Amino acid sequence: MVSSALPKFFRGAVAITLDAGSVQPHASRYLNLLYVLTLRNLKIRYRGSFLGVYWSLLNPLIMTGVYTALFGQAFISYYNNQLVNYVLAAFTGLIVVGFFIGSTSQALTSIVSNGPLLNKIQLPVSVFPLSMICGNLFQFTVGPLPLLMVATLIVTAQPQRLLLLPIPLLTLVFACTGIALLISTLYVFFRDLPYFYELLTFALWISSPVFYPAAIVPEQVRGLLVFNPLWPVIEGLREVVLASAPIDFALLAVGLFASLVLLGIGVLVFTRCRDQFMDLV
Amino acid sequence: MQARGASLEVIRLDQVSLWRRTQEEFSYDLKRTILTILEGKYRQPPRKQILDRITLTIEAGETVGIVGSNGSGKSTLLKLICGILKATSGRVDVRGRIAPLIELGAGFDSDLSVRDNIVLYGVLLGFSRAQMLERAQQILAFAELEDCAAMPVKALSSGMTARLGFAIATDVRPDILILDEVLSVGDEAFRNKCARRLESFFQGQATVLVVSHNLDFMVQTCSRVVWLNRGRIEMIGKPYEVVEKYKTSMG
Repeated sequence: MVSSALPKFFRGAVAITLDAGSVQPHASRYLNLLYVLTLRNLKIRYRGSFLGVYWSLLNPLIMTGVYTALFGQAFISYYNNQLVNYVLAAFTGLIVVGFFIGSTSQALTSIVSNGPLLNKIQLPVSVFPLSMICGNLFQFTVGPLPLLMVATLIVTAQPQRLLLLPIPLLTLVFACTGIALLISTLYVFFRDLPYFYELLTFALWISSPVFYPAAIVPEQVRGLLVFNPLWPVIEGLREVVLASAPIDFALLAVGLFASLVLLGIGVLVFTRCRDQFMDLV
Repeated sequence: MQARGASLEVIRLDQVSLWRRTQEEFSYDLKRTILTILEGKYRQPPRKQILDRITLTIEAGETVGIVGSNGSGKSTLLKLICGILKATSGRVDVRGRIAPLIELGAGFDSDLSVRDNIVLYGVLLGFSRAQMLERAQQILAFAELEDCAAMPVKALSSGMTARLGFAIATDVRPDILILDEVLSVGDEAFRNKCARRLESFFQGQATVLVVSHNLDFMVQTCSRVVWLNRGRIEMIGKPYEVVEKYKTSMG
């Protein structure tokens, strides 16, 4: 089903065999690969201790503390004069940016660094960047997500809001997947890409309303921020979790649509260039 | 089982040519690429012909050797058959599960445990996770590494790693086994064990493709030998005759 919709994307997941007992259809081989590669990423990162996943929460928690100490009082009027709202706003911004930078920077080199393997066994190339997204998604699901859900229940006292959480999160995953496919493809051709990528992530990070309220950005500049794919994710997440404003469904929908466009661009560039990979990795 | 017998084609190459981009002339550099485009000096990266109209049919159960000097396209031909590279023109048809045995242990992750690596390697070769979990014990037994299942692969000696790679690649019982350069893994006892297992492949229904510079080995084990010269098939035929001709051409 998936493989007929995206034939080129999944090409490579072909394992024909004369022995009918061990035939693995394309989609099933792809999922098996994705599973073991994601598991490999997580196991290497956490060295076998499951609690290691929670270690990754330390970074956004400490950064939230730093931002609150530095800017909390300065911006408190934008957050109903309640410091806890600033804390939660900074935390949601940090985990979104953290997910983006973590997953895309790991995906960036994933095709090239698995080059020796790709030269020996026929594999669907896209499984390498996607396994990086999946690893980060798992980490997000067991770490920050439960915290977000608890915060939603405490702050808004509206359990039905939890049902809206998947929309900004899907937006984030689609945008990251699109960018991961795009930059891991470009890195095959341009090995100085990490330098440009660092510039880009810094621009994205500073133009995302992580530690400052979106309202302080001048009107003329704010128009440009629609090009930041993280903007609707952060703002959407805050509306759902913090009830900072009545939920703007248009914002959520536009964000989701934009992330699907990014995903489409990523898939398109990846499939167009895929045949040239093996000459260069 | 006999039904699979005599004349079942498993590999068919029809007028296959391959052009590749030469890596050394490619800049790999975004800054330089943009600057050369701005200066109007950008040129399409050059391509080089690696394989030239190869036509070859291999039947189930054959053991086919490939000889040729360095750079004649032997490994490239194997990569085409494995599906790693795509032919520029011509058709490649392969029926069956292929297990490549090129540089043993290439799929290993040195930080993961031996058992995790067995599952990872098996899934890379096309098996499901559940199948590999079932097979793990017998693979550990063949590699004589039962006591090391939980150790990371980096704690193994190079001989033990090679043993593990061999055990996995041959345990999966492929229809087509690809051997790039003949194995010399582990100690004497393990080499004999490998030889026996390979022997069962050579005599069974599996199709084996061998690339080696050990010409005596080729004459002993292959049923047919292909001689590649600068991307073209120079000769196909009985191992002894092809190897003799190849030797005389090499001087």
